[in-house]
Amino acid sequence: MKVGFIGLGAMGRPMALHLHAAGQELHVWARRPQTCAGLPATVHATPAALGAACEVVFTIITSSADVEGVALGEDGLIHGMAPGSVLVDCSTIAPDVARRIAGRLAERGIAMLDAPVSGGEQGAIAATLAIMAGGDAAVLERVRPLLETLGQRIVHVGPNGAGQVAKACNQMIMVAAIEAVAEAMHLARAAGVDPAKVKQALAGGSAGSRVLEIMGQRMVDRDFAAGIEARLHHKDFGLVLAAARQSGVPVALTASVAQQLNALMALGFGKDDTSSLLRVLEAA
Amino acid sequence: MKIGFIGLGIMGRPMALNLIKGGHQVSVWARRAESMQPLLDAGAVGAASPAAVAKGQDLVISMVADAPDVADVMRGVASAGNRGLVAVDMSTIAPAAARAIHAELAAAGVDFIDAPVSGGEVGAIAGSLAIMAGGSDAAFARAKPAFECMGKNIVHVGGPGAGQVTKAANQIVTGMGVLAVAEAMAFASKNGVDRGKVREALLGGFAYSKILENHGQRMLDRNFQPGFKSWMHEKDLNIVMQTAHELGLCLPGSAATAQMFNAMVGSGLGEEDSIAVLKLLESLSGQA
Repeated sequence: MKVGFIGLGAMGRPMALHLHAAGQELHVWARRPQTCAGLPATVHATPAALGAACEVVFTIITSSADVEGVALGEDGLIHGMAPGSVLVDCSTIAPDVARRIAGRLAERGIAMLDAPVSGGEQGAIAATLAIMAGGDAAVLERVRPLLETLGQRIVHVGPNGAGQVAKACNQMIMVAAIEAVAEAMHLARAAGVDPAKVKQALAGGSAGSRVLEIMGQRMVDRDFAAGIEARLHHKDFGLVLAAARQSGVPVALTASVAQQLNALMALGFGKDDTSSLLRVLEAA
Repeated sequence: MKIGFIGLGIMGRPMALNLIKGGHQVSVWARRAESMQPLLDAGAVGAASPAAVAKGQDLVISMVADAPDVADVMRGVASAGNRGLVAVDMSTIAPAAARAIHAELAAAGVDFIDAPVSGGEVGAIAGSLAIMAGGSDAAFARAKPAFECMGKNIVHVGGPGAGQVTKAANQIVTGMGVLAVAEAMAFASKNGVDRGKVREALLGGFAYSKILENHGQRMLDRNFQPGFKSWMHEKDLNIVMQTAHELGLCLPGSAATAQMFNAMVGSGLGEEDSIAVLKLLESLSGQA
């Protein structure tokens, strides 16, 4: 199948290579052409040109505005993709923006899935991403074989936007858990107890979790190199809080964690791993 | 002075009337034509658009709902081709939005001031608003006689955006202040102590504040009529939290307070005064 890919960063590049390895004909576009260097792919001059050449297009880019620009802007995908083709947006963006883009594409007969992922760069490389999809179930079935080359757990959450809502929930739970681990590690050290031993002791009990395992270890090792850059979680928390506000739903813990992320940004840790929340506590 | 006025709602109408009382020649425009009538009756001239209301004026003032509305009407004002005009927005919007409008109008030769107010409808009618202004010295000097018709405590805080930064700071203090007084009331009652007596005792000490005095009394009276609607306070706290997010600024108290106001809007208390946060606290602790 002719598959387009836009967003060849830490996540997107390995994902594109998996699609190619599974036998798909890969087409790419990037804002900076050098990003496409060395990829086994046809390089296009615009998203519209890429869209015209592909049956399915994947995007994984940073902000709501960027996704909207690539999809609907001048030279955007909407101006090239044929009726019946599918856009699979794996970016993490606002649910209402995802719905708006889907609506505009639908007017041209182009289907869209919001399909944000969880699992980080490691998950992208290992093709073990969790994929949470919003959109028409039949469309998901059409592209499921492609998604299966990228991840293991593919869940149809609901209509357009539902995937982004699920991703927002994922970020709320995960980053709050990182903050909880950071506070526990910080307390252990302040009380004169070895954080590594505490982490080891907790791993077998009710507080055991993937976040404690991976992020707790980074905190013990004081290895704050990203992982996932904390600035992306900071961005995601802006989306979560906006969604909570739209629904009139109080999210006290999320709002509190968001302030720790603001402090993290102010302290200059935005390009480091989110385990740097420990360093925010140490700065107080 | 010849003054154009845009936006004749609960706040804008009495503010414009006070300008007429102060002897200024006032032209008005409002989205809903019927809201112009009380001003026309008082001697104002009606205009057909924001651009028309800006033609030939010394000063144009807007008092509208939100940043996109301000940007819209100010674009109209700029299109009038009145170079040297001073335009004042007295709505509450994000500092970043005010700075963007300032830059856009500067290109059209219009000097923009952000001058949000505090004091509510009562202050607008009495001409006793607190006015916090951001913009150039020259523009502030031009606008000052108009400000003096509408307000009492008028402070030129700094350059473009500084007025909105001050208003956001005001909403941090009042938002947390209302929540603090409501929590003290809930605390007293849950302990079986008369909350009215607690308020009375605190008024003489270091916890004295206007909010304890005025909002506290309304909490005792269970008078939840606005005043200042909680959905508007929520909107203003959202400006605070958005700005904190953009700057990388840790505001844990404001964040917690903003979530309480978010819950108020979500649970149908949005149209009540912000002191209705007391009801939310009471229902959370089984005191309802």
